[in-house]
Amino acid sequence: MAAATTTTTTTLAGLVEALTTAGGPEPEPRAMKELKRRCKASPEEVGGAYRLLLGQLAAEHAEVRLGAFRVLEQLFCRSAAFRARAVADLPELLALTLATDLDRPLPPPAPAAQQLRAAALRALRDWHRRYGTAYPGLDLACRFLQRSQKVDFEDIGARTLVERRRNEDRQKRLDIIYKNKAQRAGKELEDMSPEIEAVLTEMENCFRLLLPDLFDFTVNDMETTAWRVAEGDQSAHSPAQVVGHPGPFLRQVEDEQPCCSRDLPSISCAPEGDDRDSGSETEADPGREGSLTSKLTSGCLGGDDDNDDAAFVRHHGLGSHKYTLNLEISTDVKLQENEDNMAIINTVTDAHKLIKNKFLPSVQSWIQVFTRAGISDDRLRRAIDLKTKLESALEKHKEMNIEYKEKTRKVTKASDDSSDDEEFVDVPAKEGYEPRIPDHLREEYGLDPLSPPETIGTKTAAKREPKQNEDELDPTCAAATWKIVHDKLPRAQPPNTRNSEFATSGEHNKKHEEEKSKAPIVPFGLDLFYWGQEQPTAGKILKVSSQHRFWAPNEMEEEVENKDVAGMLKSRCVTFAGTFEPVQHKCRAPMPSGGLCGRQDRVKCPFHGKIIPRDELGSPVNPEDREREAKKQFEQQEKQPEWQDPEFMREVEAATGVDLGSSRYTGKGGKNKGKKKKYPNLTDLKQQANTSRSRLEKKVFDKAAMKRVVKAMNRVDQRKHEKFANQFNYALN
Amino acid sequence: MLGYIFARQAGLDDPLRLRRAESTRRVLSLELNKDKDVERIHGSGISTLDIEPVEGRYMLSGGSDGVIVLYDLENCSGKPCYTCKAVCSVGRSHPDVHKFSVETVQWYPHDTGMFTSSSFDKTLKVWDTNTLQPADEFNFEGTVYSHHMSPVATKHCLIAVGTKSPKVQLCDLKSGSCSHILQGHKQEVLAVSWSPRYEYILATASADSKVKLWDVRRASACLITLDQHNGEKSKASSEAANTAHNGRVNGLCFTSDGLHLLTVGTDDRMRLWNSSSGENTLVNYGKVCNDSRKGLKFAVSHGCSPEFVFVPYSNTIAIYTIYSGDLITTLRGHYNSVDCCVFQPHFQELYSSGRDSNILVWVPSVREPEPDDASEKQCLNPAYEDAWSSSSDGEG
Repeated sequence: MAAATTTTTTTLAGLVEALTTAGGPEPEPRAMKELKRRCKASPEEVGGAYRLLLGQLAAEHAEVRLGAFRVLEQLFCRSAAFRARAVADLPELLALTLATDLDRPLPPPAPAAQQLRAAALRALRDWHRRYGTAYPGLDLACRFLQRSQKVDFEDIGARTLVERRRNEDRQKRLDIIYKNKAQRAGKELEDMSPEIEAVLTEMENCFRLLLPDLFDFTVNDMETTAWRVAEGDQSAHSPAQVVGHPGPFLRQVEDEQPCCSRDLPSISCAPEGDDRDSGSETEADPGREGSLTSKLTSGCLGGDDDNDDAAFVRHHGLGSHKYTLNLEISTDVKLQENEDNMAIINTVTDAHKLIKNKFLPSVQSWIQVFTRAGISDDRLRRAIDLKTKLESALEKHKEMNIEYKEKTRKVTKASDDSSDDEEFVDVPAKEGYEPRIPDHLREEYGLDPLSPPETIGTKTAAKREPKQNEDELDPTCAAATWKIVHDKLPRAQPPNTRNSEFATSGEHNKKHEEEKSKAPIVPFGLDLFYWGQEQPTAGKILKVSSQHRFWAPNEMEEEVENKDVAGMLKSRCVTFAGTFEPVQHKCRAPMPSGGLCGRQDRVKCPFHGKIIPRDELGSPVNPEDREREAKKQFEQQEKQPEWQDPEFMREVEAATGVDLGSSRYTGKGGKNKGKKKKYPNLTDLKQQANTSRSRLEKKVFDKAAMKRVVKAMNRVDQRKHEKFANQFNYALN
Repeated sequence: MLGYIFARQAGLDDPLRLRRAESTRRVLSLELNKDKDVERIHGSGISTLDIEPVEGRYMLSGGSDGVIVLYDLENCSGKPCYTCKAVCSVGRSHPDVHKFSVETVQWYPHDTGMFTSSSFDKTLKVWDTNTLQPADEFNFEGTVYSHHMSPVATKHCLIAVGTKSPKVQLCDLKSGSCSHILQGHKQEVLAVSWSPRYEYILATASADSKVKLWDVRRASACLITLDQHNGEKSKASSEAANTAHNGRVNGLCFTSDGLHLLTVGTDDRMRLWNSSSGENTLVNYGKVCNDSRKGLKFAVSHGCSPEFVFVPYSNTIAIYTIYSGDLITTLRGHYNSVDCCVFQPHFQELYSSGRDSNILVWVPSVREPEPDDASEKQCLNPAYEDAWSSSSDGEG
């Protein structure tokens, strides 16, 4: 900075520029002193400095403005002439520093702008206190700021009216958007809430069907619930017994409990024969136990108060009173899907999916929209209600722990099974017909000769294969015919060899079967179907002669042999792509940064051309390559003559203000050198503006690109019109 | 100055010369002064001001909220510092207050006992100053942009009213009714002004960019339609025929002698016309920034040797010499558009008002004290002194 001041102090303009573009928190003291000295020396310099400062204040960079204002503040306190000028221009000054004009906001960067505003307000307050009596302009300015801009001088950080209005505008816009959204959401809510309610009710009803509620038992009449109990239970409970249970979940649990825990009253009249042996135990501690038992028994035994404890113990065949009874009430329910409740469970699953994937997200989004729009009326309440209901339904579904049957199997195998069923099962078994599995087939399945086929492979294979075999034995079946055909056909591999193999290694055999069952069935061509067989009709095209009585072509070859078709039937092409080999080499061309290009292209680097072998320094290994590279470099230098040194040209341009085209070279040659920044201490606004968004915008909203897109779209439109041009309603528009 | 006084004493000069020279000097040194201020009553923009021509002591102001305030401008306290007090006002609570913005207020030219005000609420009210009650009220079909009463008329009491309708109405104060209708404009009439020289001559400016001079005694009324091209180009293009400006004409002012007429329009031009021949004098004032949608009130000086015109120039007031068109200076101080300025000829003071609800007083600066008078220097306000630090003194 010191160097800068010594070089630019020659002119006042240089001095002011250096001061304002320094970018520090305070103006550089030495330059400031120099400026003050000059201003003190002559009033003309004051005017000049004021003009220059005003020019800098108008710069489109908040940091420059801030710097200029700091200098201005110092001069304002010193020179009366400067003060007079500044006060006369106060409206303009305020517009530049406080953005009092709505159309002229402060330039970026924002933090500096904020600082500038605060500094300007503070300075104005100061000036008003010190010079307010002498300059009515200051008074006016303060009053203007207080009255029409609503600036609070006590709170310097407060924003001006203009800024507030700008924020308000933005807020208003957002509000409108939110309001529209809320309206839309409200409408959706209106539309969807009946549907949601219906699904919820459906789900609720399904739950009730699956697991009866306590509420139903106690309040609803017994008749409706009785059938449910009878249906689900293994042990026959009467509805009356169920009433006393703590909850619906308990029922299954209780079934497992020993009967004594369950039906105390009924056991109370048990035979007395076996209770003698325990009598001594009970009498050992009668005092303590007595109270306990009386409590215990009072509920269930009712009128047996006069019986003594021992009698009670004896009556019930208990060893002592010290028994503790643990009722394990498992609260987690597990529902098994079975034939009876399948329909219900399907419905529940559907409803669950619907709620989880559709209703809950949309309800949540509505609530979000409503809260953001600040709506707290009936709609929001309804949405929240819906949400809680949906969530409770989901929770309930989770609690139910429904164990689904294997669905996947059903889906994938459904077609197979059905086709099998259609083909084979429809035929009723003959009376007195004994399915017999031939011996060789038995061995094929890896079975003992007499044991039934049970454990083979997966269920599907097990299910299918025996069925087929049964069918094959049935002469009325198509399968039997197939078997005959197969037997007649010459086999590539005689079965007995396979049989021997299988016989030796049962394990391997099993595995093989499993793999086979897993193997996909793929469509195959005719060539494989007739593999190795001579096809007499291959490649022959038969033409049917005309059946017409009079009209007939005079000569027609009825059979044409086509070699291509024949070849197609006899040959098969298998494409072989080879395996992927990752590229090992790098481009390694020397780059301006000093490094080597690290791109791993197979043949050609997009930046440095064909990839050639290079040494560690990046120079080509082969002499001819080296030669070519040198030639290229020479040509490039040729293009940029010696006298057009970019550095020098930039200086000339700066001095003369004429563009000599130095920027042409900086792009290519001098990229790594980098252009020296004019004001190194200031924030680079261009850098800030250079975001990915702006770069994309530049490309997307480029005029040529837009034109291209429009053209393409027009063409599409045009084509549509051409296509339907002969239809009047398209031709018209 | 001393030379002028001596010449005056010796009878060498016309007494007028000293007066002219001094008032010219004073006008040229107009500035915003701490010594004189106007009490702040208005809460919104002020669109019109008028100083009574008899004494030049009382000033009326009409605000855009319908409030009318009467100020006493004279400083009777004997101190240099003075704030013009509001004598009385027609506030919002007044039963007869104008509902909407007051566009024009005018004193009765011969007496301070009466004044008139017109407003966007389609009325023109005649007020009794002493009781502050409306003496009469005229109703119109459209909003009233401007009205004017002849300052020199002795034989008639007509108020010309420019309203939203293209017809100019003349209201007779004697009968209390509209006596004439002057037809000829095609759009609303934004400014009207009686000639200060001939009592029957009226000038009107309209949004159809025409300015017409009328003689209200004639049956067909219209005397001249001013033409910016002086009839040369109008033959070629009938479109632009007889237009004074290329935009709305919203300001109209006769010079104090009534020989010339100044107009301003939204084409950012000001033109000077010979009021007797209707000829464009082609004085070039440069750009006079003007984007007002309503009438603009501007003033001319009185009794200076080149005469000056004070025109609102967006946030500032520009001072031009009338006949040469030179921009003398611009007065900065308002923070929003200036709508009106009036000149007080007795003390060469300028009052301006604008949408920032300030009335600013521009007074001539006091003469510099004589340099040899050392004792007076100390009583000067320290704020006007330089405050260079001694350290920088040592440096320099």
